[in-house]
Amino acid sequence: MPRAMTVLRRLLRSQQAGLLLIIATLMVTLAIAAGSHVDESTGATVNNFFNSYTLIQTATDASFIAIMAVGATVVIISAGIDLSVGSVYALCGVVMGLALRGSSGGAGAVWLGLVICVGIGLAAGAVNGAMVVGLRVHPFIITLGSMWILRGIAFVTSKAESIMLPESLAHFAKAPLGLGTALYPVPMLGMLAVAALGALYLERTVMGRHVFALGGNAEASRYSGLRLGRIQVGVYVLAGGTAGLAAFLGASFYGSVSCGDATGYELYVIASAVVGGARLSGGRGSAINAMLGAVLIVLIRQSIRTLHLDQNYEWIIIGCAIVVAVVLDQASARFAARRLAEGER
Amino acid sequence: MRNARFVGVVRAVRVIGAVGAIGAIGAIGLTALVSGCHQPASQAPPPAPSAPEPAHSAQKPIRIAMIAKSSTNPVFLSARRGAETAARDLSAKIGVPIEIVWLTPPTEDGQIQAQRIAQAVNEGASAILVSCSDAGKLTGAIDDAVARGVQVMTFDSDAPKSKRFAYYGVDDFRVGEQVMEELSRLLDGKGKVAILAGNQNAPNLRRRVEGIKAEAAKSKGIQIVGTFYHNETPQDSAAEVIRVNNAYPGIRGWAMAGGWALYTKTLLTDLDPKKIKLVAVDALPPELPYIVKGLAPVLLAQSSYLWGNVGVTKIIDKIFYKREVPEIIPMDPARVTIDSLGSWARQLRQWGFPDVPEEYLKLK
Repeated sequence: MPRAMTVLRRLLRSQQAGLLLIIATLMVTLAIAAGSHVDESTGATVNNFFNSYTLIQTATDASFIAIMAVGATVVIISAGIDLSVGSVYALCGVVMGLALRGSSGGAGAVWLGLVICVGIGLAAGAVNGAMVVGLRVHPFIITLGSMWILRGIAFVTSKAESIMLPESLAHFAKAPLGLGTALYPVPMLGMLAVAALGALYLERTVMGRHVFALGGNAEASRYSGLRLGRIQVGVYVLAGGTAGLAAFLGASFYGSVSCGDATGYELYVIASAVVGGARLSGGRGSAINAMLGAVLIVLIRQSIRTLHLDQNYEWIIIGCAIVVAVVLDQASARFAARRLAEGER
Repeated sequence: MRNARFVGVVRAVRVIGAVGAIGAIGAIGLTALVSGCHQPASQAPPPAPSAPEPAHSAQKPIRIAMIAKSSTNPVFLSARRGAETAARDLSAKIGVPIEIVWLTPPTEDGQIQAQRIAQAVNEGASAILVSCSDAGKLTGAIDDAVARGVQVMTFDSDAPKSKRFAYYGVDDFRVGEQVMEELSRLLDGKGKVAILAGNQNAPNLRRRVEGIKAEAAKSKGIQIVGTFYHNETPQDSAAEVIRVNNAYPGIRGWAMAGGWALYTKTLLTDLDPKKIKLVAVDALPPELPYIVKGLAPVLLAQSSYLWGNVGVTKIIDKIFYKREVPEIIPMDPARVTIDSLGSWARQLRQWGFPDVPEEYLKLK
């Protein structure tokens, strides 16, 4: 019993408690307010929100943004920003689509697709990082430029066509894994795995702690002998890699790619990281929270539709939710700092 | 003291939240697992076919999810109006409430549309009416919906490789040809022409552009100076027209795959009808002054109201009356000129457009 209390206490003190609280409250509200319908095939009454299809679909919708948000969070912790992730996503998908055009499919196509997407993502991230370090230009400007350049390359190479992918990729991304027809947990599992790896990297590895050090105080890090350039390039490579992985899962799930894919997603990705508590000035952030931030944003979007609210208010509601989440987070941080100061006195 | 109380409240909220979160996460897993053990929808025995009986069916409403390309495009708002009118009329006729659930995203995004198809199925929609922003992205989602017993019909922009039961809309290639035929006639078969093409990713617009080019190739005197893409907003498209006109002073005509630029008044004053002619697809109220001024003597109108109206009617034919519905239901564009402006304006008003200028309603 004392051990259970210790675990509970740890959970309550964890960074994730606040976000989980909001997500849980929203889910319970939705489950109560969503209404229900009768399933045609079974005759059973099904809650419009709290059913396995909607829950997994919501997690799937969040997964592509969440995977990119983990990479973006690493960049933000280092006091950088990456506006190009949506374009990296599109470019990875288009190059994979072109490479697999005419392919007979099979497991080989899945592996090749994965290697191409992640490879292109890592390369794009490396170029971003190298330019940020080499040209000494603010990453906002560099990645703003690369956002247009990469989208343009995707446009020119695909000739703006929508390219169908081999069936085997959809079979992979839509594998039911024993859950039943039309339940596709692979993107959700991908999201959980990336968030867990991100958390391990940031919190349990020396390289991860270096990222926090760089974002927290670059000057002190330099005097400590850290190779700041290498760390900076590394974070952009990671962000590119996660965008490539998200592109692979997203393109495989939907079965086609085009140069317009993920247009504007960079803002959702950054919003997810920020809602997850990442500080844009650097030094603070969490991979798990970034994932929860993406889930929250998608859940808000979902709730507008589930509650049959006017769709035209979607942007207003999401915008307000982001501002409120960040203000609450900052207030909570200030309160915690004050308590700490009072404790020390 | 105040802080201590606040800390107490925060702790209490955290406890409630954590318990809720744990419960919610546990419930998600449990629901997913339980559902996994259930007989999948597609493998369940199909319900026995029965003749429609209004008294029995009246207990169960028909919910049709409507997913157009973008809720900021007026043609889709008119389609929604058509769908809602058909739903109201048919509800009264068959004695079953028909509800239109509007799930159109604010901007064009095939991925979001695919997500909304899945959502409609999850929430028990009886059928789905969709205009595809990206046929490739939607094919899988449509096939999933059909596999789970939900009938899907497309309008305006098709997903021909999917398992949708019907498509209602114009033949885009033919419409493109018609645009160029009309423009060529207005220019006496000679002159420099530009193509306004909208979003380069939209498959239906690409087909229209192909039709325009194919028709232009038949006429030796017509020279295409270029195909120009833009964001599908009135301001962006009008700005593109002005930019291109400045860059190519010899342009005598514009073949427009959509009427976006004519939703503004800018071109009414910036273009001289004696020097330049436009032919565009669509003829909504803001575009009608271009006919009167002689800048766009011909507009090829898609009856966007009918996308929704006919779409809902065909869905009811399919799922309620169990009638056969043809796979392709062609829509012929209406040719709107100064001679037919009055009747077209009245038609628009009848379809619920409030902003049709009064003076056009009085025309013959």
